[in-house]
Amino acid sequence: MNFEGFDPAGRRRPRPQLSRRRLLQGTVWLGAGVGAAPLLGACGGDNPAASSGNSAPYPLARPDRPVKLPIKDSNPPIDDGLDPETGGVFKILNYDAYMAPGIMKAFGAEYDVDVQVTPYTNYDEMLSKIRAPGQSFDLVFPGPGQMSKMVFTDLIQPLNHSYIPNLENLWPEYQDPWYDKGAQYTVPYTIYTTGVVYRADRVSSVPENGYDLIWDEKYAGKIYILDDMWEAIGMSMLRNGLTTNINTSDASLVQKATDSLIELIDSVNIKANINAYTEVPEGKATIHQGWSGDVIAGQYYLPKGETPEVLGYWVPEESSKRVTGNDCIAIPKSAKKPMLAHTLINDLLDNDISLRNFGWNGYQPPINKLSAEYLIDQGYIPKNLGSAVVVPDDFKTGITTYEVAPSTEALWRQNWSKFKAGG
Amino acid sequence: MTDVKAPRAAASPAAQPTRVPPWRNPWRRPYVLAGITWAYVVWSLVPVLVAVQFSFNDGRSRSVWQGFSTQWYCCADGSVGEDSSLLRALENSLILAGATVLIATPLGVMLAMGLTRWRSRASRVSNGIALVPLVTPEIVLGSALYLVIVNLYQFVPLGRPAMLLGHVTLSVSYVLVVVRSRLQSIGPDFEEAARDLGASPLRAIRTILLPMLMPSIFASAMLVFATSLDDFVVSQFLFGDASNATVPVRLYNAVRNAPTPALNALATLLLVASFLALVLAYVGLRTRRRGTKSALAELTDFG
Amino acid sequence: MADRTLDHDRAARRLWPALALPGTFWLIALFLVPFYAVMAVAFSGYINVFGEPIPAWNPLSWKFDTFTQVLSASVTGEYRAVWIRTGTYTVAALAICVAVGYPVAYYTARLAGKRRGLVLALILAPWWINYITRMLAWVNLLQDDGYVNKTLGIFGVAPISWLSGNAFTVVLALAYGYLPFFIIPLFASLDRIDQRLLEASRDLGVGMVRTFLHVTLPLSKIGLVTAMVITALPLTGDYYTNAIVSGSPNTTMVGNQVELFLLQGPQKNLGAGLVLLLSLVLMFFMAYYLVLTQRASRETR
Repeated sequence: MNFEGFDPAGRRRPRPQLSRRRLLQGTVWLGAGVGAAPLLGACGGDNPAASSGNSAPYPLARPDRPVKLPIKDSNPPIDDGLDPETGGVFKILNYDAYMAPGIMKAFGAEYDVDVQVTPYTNYDEMLSKIRAPGQSFDLVFPGPGQMSKMVFTDLIQPLNHSYIPNLENLWPEYQDPWYDKGAQYTVPYTIYTTGVVYRADRVSSVPENGYDLIWDEKYAGKIYILDDMWEAIGMSMLRNGLTTNINTSDASLVQKATDSLIELIDSVNIKANINAYTEVPEGKATIHQGWSGDVIAGQYYLPKGETPEVLGYWVPEESSKRVTGNDCIAIPKSAKKPMLAHTLINDLLDNDISLRNFGWNGYQPPINKLSAEYLIDQGYIPKNLGSAVVVPDDFKTGITTYEVAPSTEALWRQNWSKFKAGG
Repeated sequence: MTDVKAPRAAASPAAQPTRVPPWRNPWRRPYVLAGITWAYVVWSLVPVLVAVQFSFNDGRSRSVWQGFSTQWYCCADGSVGEDSSLLRALENSLILAGATVLIATPLGVMLAMGLTRWRSRASRVSNGIALVPLVTPEIVLGSALYLVIVNLYQFVPLGRPAMLLGHVTLSVSYVLVVVRSRLQSIGPDFEEAARDLGASPLRAIRTILLPMLMPSIFASAMLVFATSLDDFVVSQFLFGDASNATVPVRLYNAVRNAPTPALNALATLLLVASFLALVLAYVGLRTRRRGTKSALAELTDFG
Repeated sequence: MADRTLDHDRAARRLWPALALPGTFWLIALFLVPFYAVMAVAFSGYINVFGEPIPAWNPLSWKFDTFTQVLSASVTGEYRAVWIRTGTYTVAALAICVAVGYPVAYYTARLAGKRRGLVLALILAPWWINYITRMLAWVNLLQDDGYVNKTLGIFGVAPISWLSGNAFTVVLALAYGYLPFFIIPLFASLDRIDQRLLEASRDLGVGMVRTFLHVTLPLSKIGLVTAMVITALPLTGDYYTNAIVSGSPNTTMVGNQVELFLLQGPQKNLGAGLVLLLSLVLMFFMAYYLVLTQRASRETR
């Protein structure tokens, strides 16, 4: 696929842009993008059920429509048989508190590098940082929702599997995932469900639709949602029964879901962040939309004298109704230490190291040995938080945020900024 | 009642009415104003002392005192000594502030001399441009620099180089204002006299003007240093990745994620560093002072 | 000898522009051009695959659709509330600044007597303490189980959740943050008032209040306005204070939206549009301030 730079002014663009050919093909979203970028509304759009009508300039992977990402001559994997780079800084672009400091420290000591994590709070911010000219990062943690786009714009480089023998420790489905057939560019890092983290000692009863807790005025002032438009608006869609397609390009559905979130500003003084793992244990939040890893890690943030029994986690009983997701590890094209990055990836897929990492961040890696039973037996997950365990069925049948067309992204962003503005 | 000890009172022999309501009495001690002032001082400084106190907390909490400990300086998990990113932030802040002083001060002094003594239409335009950064909200400057560096000056990497450019732009106008007001009060007579006696213009500047300007140059350098250390917005827009984060950027990001008393420890260390810089500057100024104006007066002149 | 002086005069004529040149270039390259870049992004008509605007450097290809949307959203649409909130917070915080700052500056400049040096040093101290540090300090104090609530508890007041989207906290934090910047210019102007005028007024038996209203206040009017403008400008563009002590959509200011668009996502054309709008709104104050200072500096010449 030809992806040369396009620029209306004819200026040399060092960063990947849309190709002129794509533009001329009249992809609907770009046509609308002329001048009306933020308000794309209902035009274009992506309907994952239909196999045609793909309005994105890159393939949109779905479990039933897996994608084998292309490997370009201009962006090859590194050669076999290299030695890891040493000295200097090893730069990781990741969520805050998403990798155990102990692991990074030991890794840094072993290879004489200073490991630095640049944090972001959502994928948009991650893309913004990784694309800034002159920036280089050695490791990044995207989700399947950005993968095609990042490959097609040369933001990440292919992996050289000869450096990652631990790939075989992964669940079989993750050695060949639908969003990156053959795991050519990424390996999975963690899997999680999105649910509601709450203080069991303050919430008397959890309704059948647990999302209702977030709309419960009894807990006003102590309710948080995730500061992530896909998670927050998607949750609102599920709670209000609007749709189970949390990737919809239907403007009226997105708007209804957002309006319902905006109501929360006045009714319960809603706040948005991604810190359920500290806010709930420390008591600042009573209800917090959160990821399963948050509640497991939350045990370690409890004040002295409190036990994990005060924590609770709600997700729908049936796997098919659960919102599930996974994060991946990839090596940015701009990496200065790509070989060392492969080494760290291999380490993170090691049975012992991944267990240590899980013990710190609470997010389950899809590693065969770390099955749900094993983790509960080993005491990593208390019995009352059994609902936070992710099982393979969640992935086969769950509800997931997929990669969508740029027009759909713009639609969601426009609604999200309205929520952020306070309605 | 009467303030006989004050020299002003002695100088005014006006008869004091014996019974007037307090608001009519011009010589009453300003208890209310003094009260407000001291209350303000307490209000402005005590929270900072509390923040310092919690840097010594023996526990994770930043609101409940759990006993004295230096663990957040060293060597608990995530303490300043253990978390290399925290110390690096301190280092980044100090290096950046130092470099900003080294560039912004000479640039601003030259600009001040040029614009004060050079009278033409061009100089007035230039003068106008030079003052606008002073009143531009930092968010406007920060986003403008961010957009130009990301889109046009792509040879400038985000990180220390970009932040340096930003901080100099932010602070060069302060130097201009402080030095210019001193230049105007000195007037051109001294250099003209020197030149009449045969000194070249450059020599006149070096031997006459610069020494006379020294207190104001020193004051503006301090101001630049403080501005750079204090700056959050421009740094936040231009820092790029964590290895270049300054203390304010690091503090801000951490406050929004999972704060520990290690942040308070980091803030305390920055406080100590800027206090040391202040003392050094003060000592330097005392020994170098030539003019009649104190550094404080120079500082308060701006604005 | 005379020739040499003439030479030197000619050299001097060239010297002053030469001295001004580097600084002027710097400000053109890093102040004027960046501002042009904001326009190029705000008026961009194309977005790339990430939804990011492609800057339109040529004014002839500027498209104003996005900016018009930002404008109409600000006047009637979803950002209207944000602008109103920003204005309200600015005015409220400024009012606190005047109410607290004026007496403090006045006392320090005119009445502190032999403690003047100490008071001035204490008032200048916050300048040397990082702004974010000072906000962090309040976050410590205002926690649900922090000292403020504990103190209030002594008087039987139930704990208040200060940090969960409380507009009152935001205004107070803004006032706290910007007071030092307000006090200093005001102090400088009050300090310049001729002591003899006040003494004359007192000698005539005029009370403190009337002396203040008829002598001090008119003489410090320019200083007061300067201080208010110099405080209002950054205050209006503030986003970090709010983010630290609230973080709720309830208290979103314009600066928060700018940060959201420019730093946390691709919609930089919207962010640039808001920055332009903010600059337009503040332009009036900026111009007013510049005219004031220019006039003041002309008077000293």
